[in-house]
Amino acid sequence: MGSKSLALSFHVQAECKTSRARAGIMKLPHYEVKTPVFMPVGTQGTMKGLLPEQLECLDCEIILGNTYHLGNRPGTDVLEKAGGLHKFMSWNRALLTDSGGFQMVSLLKLAEITEEGVKFKSPYDNSEIMLTPEKSIEIQNCIGADIIMQLDDVVQTTFQDYDRIKEATERTSRWLDRCLKAHKRPSEQSIFPIVQGLLDRELREKSARDHMSKDVNGFAIGGLSGGEAKDEFWPMVSLSTGLLDKNRPRYLMGVGLAIDLVICVALGVDMFDCVYPTRTARFGCALINTGQLNLRQKQYETDLNPIDDDCSCSTCRNYTRAYLHAIVTVETVACHLISVHNIAFQMRLMQTIRDNIERGTFPQFVNKFVNELYSNGDFPPWIINSLSSVGISIVKK
Amino acid sequence: MRFAVKQVGCGGERIGYLTGFVKSPNTVIETPAAALFTQGGSVVHLTAEVLCKVFTNPQLLWVPLSNSAQLENGLKAQGQGVAKFAGLPNHIACATLHGNNELTPPGHFEGNLVPLWTKQGKKMITADRYMDFMEVFKPDILLAIADGRSTLADGYKRNQKAVERTCSFLDRCVYRYKASKALRETSLIGVIVGTGHRNKCFECIKHILKHGEHLSGIALAGITDGTEESLQVPVQKLEEIFRTVGKVIPNDMVHFVEGCWNPEIIMTAIQHGWDVFDGTYPLKLTNAGQALALNFDLTTNKDDMCILDLNDKRYKLDFGPILKDCECLTCKKHTRAYIRHLLETREMLSNVLLSIHNLHHFDQMFVHARNHIATKTFEVYKNHISHQYRLYVKNLENDLDSVKVKLSEKDIEQTKKKICVSNGDVPKVVTGCG
Ligand SMILES: [Zn+2]
Ligand SMILES: [Zn+2]
Repeated sequence: MGSKSLALSFHVQAECKTSRARAGIMKLPHYEVKTPVFMPVGTQGTMKGLLPEQLECLDCEIILGNTYHLGNRPGTDVLEKAGGLHKFMSWNRALLTDSGGFQMVSLLKLAEITEEGVKFKSPYDNSEIMLTPEKSIEIQNCIGADIIMQLDDVVQTTFQDYDRIKEATERTSRWLDRCLKAHKRPSEQSIFPIVQGLLDRELREKSARDHMSKDVNGFAIGGLSGGEAKDEFWPMVSLSTGLLDKNRPRYLMGVGLAIDLVICVALGVDMFDCVYPTRTARFGCALINTGQLNLRQKQYETDLNPIDDDCSCSTCRNYTRAYLHAIVTVETVACHLISVHNIAFQMRLMQTIRDNIERGTFPQFVNKFVNELYSNGDFPPWIINSLSSVGISIVKK
Repeated sequence: MRFAVKQVGCGGERIGYLTGFVKSPNTVIETPAAALFTQGGSVVHLTAEVLCKVFTNPQLLWVPLSNSAQLENGLKAQGQGVAKFAGLPNHIACATLHGNNELTPPGHFEGNLVPLWTKQGKKMITADRYMDFMEVFKPDILLAIADGRSTLADGYKRNQKAVERTCSFLDRCVYRYKASKALRETSLIGVIVGTGHRNKCFECIKHILKHGEHLSGIALAGITDGTEESLQVPVQKLEEIFRTVGKVIPNDMVHFVEGCWNPEIIMTAIQHGWDVFDGTYPLKLTNAGQALALNFDLTTNKDDMCILDLNDKRYKLDFGPILKDCECLTCKKHTRAYIRHLLETREMLSNVLLSIHNLHHFDQMFVHARNHIATKTFEVYKNHISHQYRLYVKNLENDLDSVKVKLSEKDIEQTKKKICVSNGDVPKVVTGCG
């Protein structure tokens, strides 16, 4: 089972017999990526002070770049002459870029969205710029990522006005056509359409069905993880994965918390991205199975354990919590060290998920994971409900 | 620790060996050499994992208490010394009071108390308190506490005070050192101060040598207080100090020089028998977005500048390495254009890549110096390096003149800043992480 194209071929290698979880291989021009996969975000062509070889060492197979930022700096002229972002940043594995639309709407209050595109004032020189679907693809063609995103009409997830949400959903489908038409490198880069519709079942269903009819190699699920309640979040993920083709990869945008990853894999998602693991490292937060450690806290001052006994990352092998406590938020090295651990944590979690899917023990793994995280047995209803919707019942240990 | 001179060159320059480190018995540090400057115990900008990609051998670490005092409680709990605690167990820690890249307010001494300027503010400490710190830091090499942050422009009174204070500190340090179990594996270094006044300086040296049997070496301070002005000393004047002071220190003591000195001055110090430098210079370049690019090949004279400012727009489309043929990881894998982009976007990787190159290249400057001492060609090498540095400074000054003609106040200010930085301005203190 799977799909084939020069730019992307996807093979599902194992499926969970209970839930919708699956493990696969996504062959991209620059790398073969094992799914389900977490993609760390390297906004401006770099990952929080880490060298490309450190990311390889951490088993990162695909990372994200932000089109909006890269289009401004270094700019397409530099990227073009450098031969694309891979060469510019010396990263030989796979890359994915977003469309730039989300950044614009979330960063810039002055953005105005019309049928033509997103109009905004450049924060660099205050000039007026129009980002059209064609322009977004032109920039992304220049950056040269293995997977690129369509420009979508972004509405805040918690937005309530039905007419506006409907307009945005339909416009996203129209913009997809324009993106596909403008795409100059279809044999090297795959455009993923973005399923929109926010929290409206009908609109989301329509959006997914529209995209399904297009010649694309994979799908993104957008418009979620924007502050909505978890009870509203998971049914939309489930609805989307239920409609989308099983033979093509599904990418849930902006999700990266460990518990969310576990649940959404069970719901049938293959790819994730999130700035959280690296962003939180800056503030001294290290990820562990039961949540996170805030290494700034006084209690770690003389704690000679590594962040996580079970972690084999270079930070946990060489450094104690006490040392990290002493330099956290003061020295850049602390930020690098915690970023390394946090990325290692995400990668190890995904590896464990894949191993369990392959071994046929995914439901047991989910049970163990949830029980460890909520050791008091107080499981949030959304977790119970989402998992039981795909046949996994959580048993209190 | 033991120090032995292996070979002397035609002038006063010499190749030496530092060996006998109890914590890493197989380690040999060849001198002349520079230590790696640390903050909070870590080599600035580089994790242990990345440092391994720059140096495969153990290195000297320069550990100022001013930026690492906050490690004390953790160190006490761990009990194995600062290098191990900071994830660098095979490296050799040299502890001292202040880093020479810090700007600190002058004065603030009170009786037998010295101000320790940390990121958390001023802490007044005595020689005893300093030695308490050292007993938990357990460095391999320990510079005695001293009042060494004076300049050559300071008058008799300031120098007199500095020497008086430092001598009494040293008496206390030696007393504590002799009695300390924790410091049994540590070597003590006396610190020369009062350098701005010849008689006072020699008085200080005389006093240090009285404790000679307990000391493994001598460090030269009292020339710079970290300010830009204090580093603006004619080479000739420094040479006179390196020569006269160097002459009266016994040969079997390792000679340390503190201060953010440029390559020309370092070469001069080496020529007069100085062995170890504190490593602030490459850090200063890195923090300013600059890369050292000396030509070590004596058979070619290149007009290329020996320091590149990678903030410069001219590198926007320059897809070459910082320095052709450089063996460092940065030059093998990354371009000037990429580093410029990282600097422009204030990404932390710029400091990492520049540190990798600058530390490697700065170290290469010492490797070549040792080779030339061995082959008795150090004088030629020294002139070759000095020439490149002078050419660079002259070029910057010309830039400044031509900018003046074009009349842009902002440009002039910027170029002036560049010159300051290149001559030894204080790097920006890193706070937070990006
Ligand atoms: Zn770890
Ligand atoms: Zn290099």
